[in-house]
Amino acid sequence: MSALLEVRDLYVRYPRSRRVINQITGRGAAWVDVVEGVSLDVSRGETLAIIGESGSGKTSLIMALMGLVTARRGDVRFNGEAVGRNVRGRLQPDRRRIAMMFQDPAGSLSPRMKVRSLLAEPYRIHPGVADDPDAEVQRLLDLVGLSPEFADRYAHQLSGGQARRIGVARSLALHPDLIIADEPTAGLDVSIQGDVLNLLSGLQERLGLALIVITHNLNVVRHIADRMAIMYLGRFLEQGPSEEIFRHARHPYTRALLSANPEPDPDARTERLELTGEVPSLLARPSGCEFHTRCPFVQDDCRAVFPSPTRLDTEHQVLCHFPLPDPDV
Amino acid sequence: MSEPEIAPLLEVDRLSVSYDTDRGRLRALRSVSFDIGRGEIVGIVGESGCGKSTLISAVIRLLASNARLDDGAIRFDGEDLMSLAPDRMRALRGARLAMVFQDPMTSLNPVLSIGRQMLDVQYQRKASGTDKRERSLAMLQKVGIPDPERRLREYPHQLSGGMRQRVAIAMALLMEPALLIADEPTTALDATLEVQIIHQLKALQADFGCSILFISHHLGVIAELCDRVVVMYAGEVVESGTVRQVFHEPRHPYTRKLLECDPARISERTRQLPIIAGALPDLVELPEGCVFRTRCDRAVAECAQRRPALEDAGDGHRVACFVARSTS
Repeated sequence: MSALLEVRDLYVRYPRSRRVINQITGRGAAWVDVVEGVSLDVSRGETLAIIGESGSGKTSLIMALMGLVTARRGDVRFNGEAVGRNVRGRLQPDRRRIAMMFQDPAGSLSPRMKVRSLLAEPYRIHPGVADDPDAEVQRLLDLVGLSPEFADRYAHQLSGGQARRIGVARSLALHPDLIIADEPTAGLDVSIQGDVLNLLSGLQERLGLALIVITHNLNVVRHIADRMAIMYLGRFLEQGPSEEIFRHARHPYTRALLSANPEPDPDARTERLELTGEVPSLLARPSGCEFHTRCPFVQDDCRAVFPSPTRLDTEHQVLCHFPLPDPDV
Repeated sequence: MSEPEIAPLLEVDRLSVSYDTDRGRLRALRSVSFDIGRGEIVGIVGESGCGKSTLISAVIRLLASNARLDDGAIRFDGEDLMSLAPDRMRALRGARLAMVFQDPMTSLNPVLSIGRQMLDVQYQRKASGTDKRERSLAMLQKVGIPDPERRLREYPHQLSGGMRQRVAIAMALLMEPALLIADEPTTALDATLEVQIIHQLKALQADFGCSILFISHHLGVIAELCDRVVVMYAGEVVESGTVRQVFHEPRHPYTRKLLECDPARISERTRQLPIIAGALPDLVELPEGCVFRTRCDRAVAECAQRRPALEDAGDGHRVACFVARSTS
C-alpha cells in the first residue's frame, strides 16, 4: 500500500537578508537553511513522531507539509497529489484533508467565542461540509468525551485538559485523513497527559487517522508512535520503528537522548551517554557530520566528510559514519 | 527536627496565603510547612494549581497585591521574612536569595549585553568594574560556557537556549546566595541539555555550598537532583520526605497516582495510559475534609469530616492522610 503522505528530499530555507543585492552577490549568508533533505512516509492509521529540540526545524517541516511555506526543493505528496499552490494560488490538495492541532490550546482558541462557534467555524469557512453545524458540534463534543453543555462555555472556562480536547475536536471537524499535532502534551500535568494521549490513539483507531506528532517528550513517543524520526539541525539523524529505536538506537545522538531521560527513581543508575557542548547555530553549520561538535565518539572522518544515510534494514535508517553497535548483537 | 542545634536555612511554618477575588477568597496555600537545611537540595513537585508559584512569591515576598498572608511564618536564616522592612528585604533578594526562572528568554533583558546584565546584578557589591567583570568571566566559565569573553559582549538572542539558561544560573550565583530558588529551569530544554544543566547545578551546589529549592513537575529530574522532596496538591503539602522515602515508598494516594501516571515508569508500550480522574477542588469553596478525597480511591468516612494533618511517622517521612497512617 502506498503511503498517505510521501515526502522526498525536502529543503526549506528562509531569506536572511531582505536586500536583493545580498541575495544576488551572495554576500554574507543570505539564506538560513532550516530543513535539509528530509524524506518520510506516513500511512493511514499510523503515527509518526518527530523528535527534536527547539530550532531543529520541526515547525518549518510541518509548515512545508501543509504547503504554508514554499519548499526550496523536494516533493511532498498527499494521497498521490503534490502539495502546494496551483496556478490560481489555491492550496492543493484540498486542505481539509490535513488538520493541524496547535501547541497552545488556550492560545489557539479565541477568547471571545463560545465553544459552539469555535467548533462550527470550519463549517462556515467550508460551506457544504455539514448540513446542520449544530448537530456536528454535538458530534464533535461527543467524540472527544465532553458533555453537550460545553458548547456554551468560553475558552477561559475550560481547564487545560478540556481546552486540549476542544483543540482535538476542532481538528476533527472537517473529517481529515491526517492530523499534525504540535507538542500535544506540552505544558500538561502528567495526570492529564495520559488522558489526551489515550483520546488521540482511541480516535485514531476509530477513524483510521494518520498522525504526525511533534514532541520532545520521549516518554510520550514510546506509547503512541509506530515510527519515529530524530531531527537535528534540519536533518533526520535516525528514523525507524519506535520500538526498534528504543531498543537498538544506533545514532549517538539518539542514544544520548534516550539515556538522558531521567527516571523517577533516585537509585536508578542508567548507563548515561552524556553530550558536551551546545547546539551549533544554523548560520554556522559544522563541517562534515554536523553532529560531530557534540559527539562523544567523534573521529577524524566525521569532521571532514558528510555522512551518507545508511539503511540498517528496510525501515531503520541512520545518518552516521560509525553507527553504534547494536546492543543486542 | 531531630537536630535542634543547627537551625534550617529556610523554615516555612504553617503558611497560609489567600487571594481576594471577585468570587471571594481563594485559599491558595493552607498551612504549608517544610524546611530546607543548609547545603540541601529540596524539590517541590505538584501539578498546575498546587500553589508552587504562590509559595515562591511568598518566600521572595513578591506576592500579588490582592494576596493576603493569613497565617504562618517564613524564616530565613532565623529571620522572619514577613516582618522584615522593605529595604532589608530588597537587600536580601538577589544577594542571599536568588532565583532562576523557567524561561531565560523572558528573564534576560534582550536589549542589554550579557556582560552589562552580569555587572548590574552585582550592584550591591562594593568592587571596581574590572573586578566585577573578572567575576562575571569566572562565573560563566564555571557554568561551562565556552569563550566567555565573547559571550559577555553578546546579547541573549545570540545564545542558544541551553546557554541562556546557564547564563541565568551564573547570574543567580554571582552574589553567592545562601538559597537558590529554581522554578522549572529545565522545562524549555531538550533531554540531553536538561541532564547537562542538572549535573551542573549539582556540581555548583557542592562548590558554593548553597541550598537549592527546585520546583518541577518532572518527577525524574527531582529524583536525580534532590535530597528531599515535598509533594503539593491544591495548596497543601500532602507528603514530604527524602527522595528515597517518597519515590520508593509513596504513602499518600496522590503521590502514588502521580508516580503511576508518569510515562517514564511504564516501559512496556501501552495504548491506555493511566490518569488521575476528576478535577482539582475549587479553592474558593473548599470542600470539607481532605482535599484529595474526591479523586481518591481509598477514601473512608473520616476523610469527608476532617482535614488530615501532616504527620511525621518518626523517620522524617511525613504524610497527610488518615488511610496511609492507619495502614503503615
